[in-house]
Amino acid sequence: MRKIYLIVCLIFQLSCFSQNKELLYNFTSIPQSLMVNPGADVSYKYYFGFPVLSGISANVGSSSFTAYDLFANNGVDFNQKVRNVINQSTNRDKVVTNQQLEVFSGGFRIGGRESKSYISFGLYQEFDFFMFVPKDLAILALDGNRNYIGKSFNLGDLSMKAEVLSVWHVGFHKKVNEKFVYGGRAKIYSSGANATSTKNAGYIYTGQDSGNANLYNQIISSDLELKTSGLSKFTKDEYEGNVVRDIANNTFFSGSLGLGVDAGFTYYIKKNLQLTASVVDLGFIRQSKDIETLTYKGTYQYNGVNPDFAGNDEPEDIFDEFDKAIPRDTLYNKYTTWRPTKFYSSIQYSFGEARPDDECNCRGKINTYYKNAVGAQLFAMSAPREPLVALTAFYKRSIFRKLEAKATYTFDTFSNKNIGLGLAGTLGPVNIYALFGNVLEYKDLSKASSATFQLGINFVFQDHDDE
Amino acid sequence: MIVNIRRYIYRYTFVMKSNFLSKVLKIVIISLLFSSCSSDLDFDQIKDLKLEPAFLANLAYFDIPANKLVDDGGNHVADDSRGFDIFKDKFFNEHLQKAELNFEIENTIDRAFLVSLQLLDANNQVLQTLTFPVPAYRGTANVIKFPTEVFENQRLDLLKKTVKIGFRVAISEGTPLNSQSLGSLKLKSSATAYLIIE
Repeated sequence: MRKIYLIVCLIFQLSCFSQNKELLYNFTSIPQSLMVNPGADVSYKYYFGFPVLSGISANVGSSSFTAYDLFANNGVDFNQKVRNVINQSTNRDKVVTNQQLEVFSGGFRIGGRESKSYISFGLYQEFDFFMFVPKDLAILALDGNRNYIGKSFNLGDLSMKAEVLSVWHVGFHKKVNEKFVYGGRAKIYSSGANATSTKNAGYIYTGQDSGNANLYNQIISSDLELKTSGLSKFTKDEYEGNVVRDIANNTFFSGSLGLGVDAGFTYYIKKNLQLTASVVDLGFIRQSKDIETLTYKGTYQYNGVNPDFAGNDEPEDIFDEFDKAIPRDTLYNKYTTWRPTKFYSSIQYSFGEARPDDECNCRGKINTYYKNAVGAQLFAMSAPREPLVALTAFYKRSIFRKLEAKATYTFDTFSNKNIGLGLAGTLGPVNIYALFGNVLEYKDLSKASSATFQLGINFVFQDHDDE
Repeated sequence: MIVNIRRYIYRYTFVMKSNFLSKVLKIVIISLLFSSCSSDLDFDQIKDLKLEPAFLANLAYFDIPANKLVDDGGNHVADDSRGFDIFKDKFFNEHLQKAELNFEIENTIDRAFLVSLQLLDANNQVLQTLTFPVPAYRGTANVIKFPTEVFENQRLDLLKKTVKIGFRVAISEGTPLNSQSLGSLKLKSSATAYLIIE
């Protein structure tokens, strides 16, 4: 039962984030926007993130139910709530969580004062969880098959993956000219723990077909597979350690390794019309540490006990038969997992040209900027079965030269009225940002189908024209 | 001098703006964090999770054709026993709260039978005996659905010790059976297992 609690806690408490960072994307006064587009038009002499506080982000998304639906303290029986949630979900509904924490990050300009080439680097930790609502299996666990004679319970409903990893990265971006910026980032992944079970198929069927020697026709056809890395030792009875500490240790120091790249660009079609695109986490991890693959493959027709009065004794037991038909196999093969690859693109139109009024222009060099920008962004992420897609409209405004606000309106699987608000301000070298997705639902977070935030503090140093 | 004044003004306005800016940021962040209240949630409810599935499955079946029961018309018995190891599964055993067994017998042989099932433990001791009298076939449909056998409490505990089922078919006197005899004795049965998992 403890295991069930653990699983349920994992699913429902951590649950809830998609990886779209629609507010951070192209919010170029925040250095971390380079993490969603390495070709973002970000400039600095050098910067570094406040250790551990430079980039904290979390996303939770659930397309069919909210925390309130399950955990509201409203006197309704919990089991009834679970039942309602399962009934209102389909096997296409998903629960997605992503959390990232920057351990350190920094960047510097390379070349001379006139150079526009930059290096950025860092280490961050990430947790990903993705699951489709396993509706048929949930019904089977809640009700059993008694009231579902004739129904085929789909084992393919079970589709989930989870991973804890750390990512070391180095990126380069260059502003080639006033029109074009490009960049790329190389990543080394170190996965502390991975569980993947996304290629399941099969069914459990109980039918009442005529002409059968038995009362029921019962068939289990199973093609189930769960691959894990970095987890099998915790399931052993003799394990006596601290799971969290061990996973953290694996994540940073002895995980399964992988490689990935990000790439992106910014192109100014006109001075006030900008196009960007990026691909993030195009990469894989070779799962090789403490690996274990469990499979249940086979077909079993269950008939019950059949005595033979002719005296032929073939002792057979149901379990033995079942085990023979659908054996539990444990394999220890390395396997490769692909990172959830993200694709972003945006088009932005700027207006309201202004002169910076808080800077001294003794040299007569005037760098004007636009106070307002509107545009659209597209987000897509690879996921089991089909990609997640989101479309965002945004408005960005400079309240002051160094204080920018961005508002977004996003349509996605989880919500069609997701309004996000973000602020980024720079005080001297201190750059602070706070971005909140789905703010309408912050009035009651428990009823939010999705919630996202990103927070961080950086120290950004620019050249000063008058020094 | 003019440059100095300009610088002074610039610095002054910068400081003013910085203060203002930091206040705005603070207010926005704090208000967002604090306005993000949430309805009263009670995660402890997870402890109330109680699954009560009912699983329906075949239990046992046989189909004995009359021509395999060749006899001289007197009383005799056919029997066999089969392993039934479902209760070895600890999880199933611990969470089974109630079981119902349903039996259905169809006789198309011109002889009466007494079918019995013996639930046997690991030492071959009989824990329970279920008996089903079956009248001889007289040319009309002869399907008997026996009343549901319900296993709860002590009776369930006995059931859980079962590792084997003994089948016994006692044939009553009647017309002798030979290799040309028609008809058969068919048994079909199912079990409904009520689990409570919490």
